Amino acid sequence: MNAPHLHRPIAALLLGLLAAQANGGAVTVNVTTRTGAAAGDAVVVFYPLDAVPATTRDTAVIDQVNKRFVPRVSVVRTGTAITFPNSDRIRHQVYSFSPAKTFSLKLYAGSPKTAVTFDQPGLVVLGCNIHDNMIAFVGVVDSPYFAKTTDTGTASLNLPSGRYRLRAWHPNAVAALPSRDITVAAAPLNIPLAIDVDGTSTAVAAWLE
Amino acid sequence: MLLLLSGIAASAAPRLYDRLGGEAGVAAIAGSLIDRVSADPKLGRSFKDSNLDRIKKLLAEQICDLSGGPCRYSGDSMREVHAGHHISEAEFFGMVADLRAVLKEQHVSQGATNELLRLLAPMKRDVVEPAQSTAQ
Repeated sequence: MNAPHLHRPIAALLLGLLAAQANGGAVTVNVTTRTGAAAGDAVVVFYPLDAVPATTRDTAVIDQVNKRFVPRVSVVRTGTAITFPNSDRIRHQVYSFSPAKTFSLKLYAGSPKTAVTFDQPGLVVLGCNIHDNMIAFVGVVDSPYFAKTTDTGTASLNLPSGRYRLRAWHPNAVAALPSRDITVAAAPLNIPLAIDVDGTSTAVAAWLE
Repeated sequence: MLLLLSGIAASAAPRLYDRLGGEAGVAAIAGSLIDRVSADPKLGRSFKDSNLDRIKKLLAEQICDLSGGPCRYSGDSMREVHAGHHISEAEFFGMVADLRAVLKEQHVSQGATNELLRLLAPMKRDVVEPAQSTAQ
């Protein structure tokens, strides 16, 4: 075995890394509608109640494909620069009137993608001036701990140990979900959430209130 | 004197914009044309999922600008607007035919119709995408 030959600082570093990994837990959130159907595209955010990690310069991408925004729902940390490529051969004009980020971008086919920095928390609703049916949501949150549910309504995260305020949102939620305080330790956590959704409503007002 | 006379003549000749019916007439022409082409089975594909009200507004602005009216076209260039739509020559002339029908419907004179078409004709090279030279 090589282990006895490891230099002491390296061994200490490895032990430290292992400890850091153990210092936290796997959290799974299952979001369903009131009738028990899986709710995909739900946003779950864990706001740290103890120390908030230092901000980073994150990036994300929202593409334009067949006159749709891909993805339709995004969640990013405040300060994230989102780039808007255009995979369609026709042009688009992306805009937002949302207070958290108001902007307008002309996207021509084959032009360089343009970045927009989302520097305020809140929900940003995107549209396209040219194509009526294009709509997308960008949840901008003051936390690095967030996820979006898959088609099965599941979101999985690894969170450092500590206390968090869990909030959730869905584009078709009819009302804001109450927040819930949870404590993450070594044991895996499974959190079920039920939301009232209505396919005909767009619950912009219910954003993480 | 000659200068003065030609000045009078120029101001006396009604602008094309006015012969198209001014603001209301141009809005009706643009609106009817977009309604017609978007519902036309041969032309409608390029207008699918599009914000037709926006196109009507910008087209009216463009016709107003071109015909000497008090507007400044604020939209993109014809090349940018049509890029990627692969508009064929047949589609271009299909839209011209629809425009002729709309102008007739709006009781626009033959002279004004010809004048407007003459202003729009040079746009063909920016609208129509040359057919791909693929092997048959």
